[in-house]
Amino acid sequence: MIVLDLALNAVATGIVLGSIYALLALGLAITFGILHIPNVAHPAIVIAGAYAVVVLNRFGLDPILAGLLWSIPFYFIGLAFYEFYARSFESRGGGNTLQSLTLFFGISLVIEIALVVAYGTDLRSVRVGYVGESLRLGTVAIPYRFLVPALITPVVVFLLWLYLSKTNTGLAIRAVAHDERAVSVAGVNPTAIKRHAFGIATALAVIAGAALVITGPVDPFAGRIHIGRVFAIVVLAGMGTIPGTLAAAIIIGVAESLVMSFASPSWAPGVAFAILLATLALRPTGLFGGVR
Amino acid sequence: MSEPLLSVRDVSKSFGAIKALGPVGLDVAEGERLGIIGPNGSGKTTLINCITGFFRPDTGTISYKGQDITRLPAYRRARLGLSRSFQIPHPFTGMTVIENLLVPMDYGATSARKELENAEEILRSVGLAERRDHPAEQLSQLELRKLELARALAARPAILIADEAMAGLSEAEIDDILSVLFELNRAGVTVIMIEHIMHAVMRYSERVICLETGQVIAEGSPEKITSSPVVQKVYFGEQTAR
Repeated sequence: MIVLDLALNAVATGIVLGSIYALLALGLAITFGILHIPNVAHPAIVIAGAYAVVVLNRFGLDPILAGLLWSIPFYFIGLAFYEFYARSFESRGGGNTLQSLTLFFGISLVIEIALVVAYGTDLRSVRVGYVGESLRLGTVAIPYRFLVPALITPVVVFLLWLYLSKTNTGLAIRAVAHDERAVSVAGVNPTAIKRHAFGIATALAVIAGAALVITGPVDPFAGRIHIGRVFAIVVLAGMGTIPGTLAAAIIIGVAESLVMSFASPSWAPGVAFAILLATLALRPTGLFGGVR
Repeated sequence: MSEPLLSVRDVSKSFGAIKALGPVGLDVAEGERLGIIGPNGSGKTTLINCITGFFRPDTGTISYKGQDITRLPAYRRARLGLSRSFQIPHPFTGMTVIENLLVPMDYGATSARKELENAEEILRSVGLAERRDHPAEQLSQLELRKLELARALAARPAILIADEAMAGLSEAEIDDILSVLFELNRAGVTVIMIEHIMHAVMRYSERVICLETGQVIAEGSPEKITSSPVVQKVYFGEQTAR
């Protein structure tokens, strides 16, 4: 029975963990999954968002509310980021993946250093009433500091899915990655569409930052451990499917949690890639690639 | 003759040391059906790319309704009413047929219901109405060509450039596409047809231009072009040799 309890707890924790991973990966599902921009700076932007949330939380603002407020300036920061990227690479006919990768790696370092300079390397956290308590269902216990941010994800996933599949701008975002010329023949400015999508992805990063900082304290380098995992989730999901991103993240979350409980926590970071490799061998388009 | 709708003056384009086009000049009148023919590599596609804004010409000017559009990006030209279809249809996969048509309509100030009605009307005009909610990737070759035309029409252009819209289709299918294009022209759209299928382009066009190594070598009525020795030499000569 102890084993069963352990397994139940591991699965419950995994679902919650996966849900938070999905939130971290959603921005990347747009930039990398749909626009094919290898934005390795995404986790660093998430951490910058977490710091921004900490600042507002000092004034007593709820972190989720703070994240929502920050998402508007972050959207505009994202527009500026994309404009910089487009001018330095895409408009010059480059768009070379390796060069872009280097650029975003650089941006990620700059963000981290800027956070160190501004706030030092100490851990920062938010104050919320529910930290330290857990929801108990029989033998399963889920800390609220995980449960609350995990509950944001389904809402965000639903709204994002609705936007990308039911609005014309959402359709244009998916179309622009597919065929930029066909989009411009239709009178849509492809650069403006991609800039807007990048802005949304950056706004999502601050929501993810708010969720992450509720789960535990962050330091300027806290994004690094997530880089590999979020890319694995986006590819596993099948590049740019939004509900697929949530499903893939939960699969990885549960697998990691089971490995942590029954094997060793030191194996956990490898789980995402093990699942990814096994999946790509069988389904090169990812789990939900081609399906909407 | 009144002012041409589209006017190309001394346009040339080179890629490195290779001169792909020009200098060429041509005028297109409002409501005209113009055919552009020429062997492979004669500069037809380069010319369209210059007209629609995917290439910036090295020299010359392009004007549309009296406005110089030489330096406008493709999407701005499309908004002015200059549209094209592509040789190889690339539907937006993962979307339905109607969704493929809704992508272009977002910039307009019209309501969502109006956009939907417009898209449905265009689907009817090309004969794809009953495929409205099918995934684009499930269409037949003929239907893909029609979707390609429909997409080019979604922004309600004044000029449609159809780039080899009929290549690889059967005779009956060619007739089908031609009647769609005739109907469009009757509705007021100026059509520039780039085509290799001789009888189709001759049947459709009021005036034909023949390009060869980036130059206009002949221009005139289909009858005149068909009987032109210089055209027969570069074009029909090549075809009968095959």
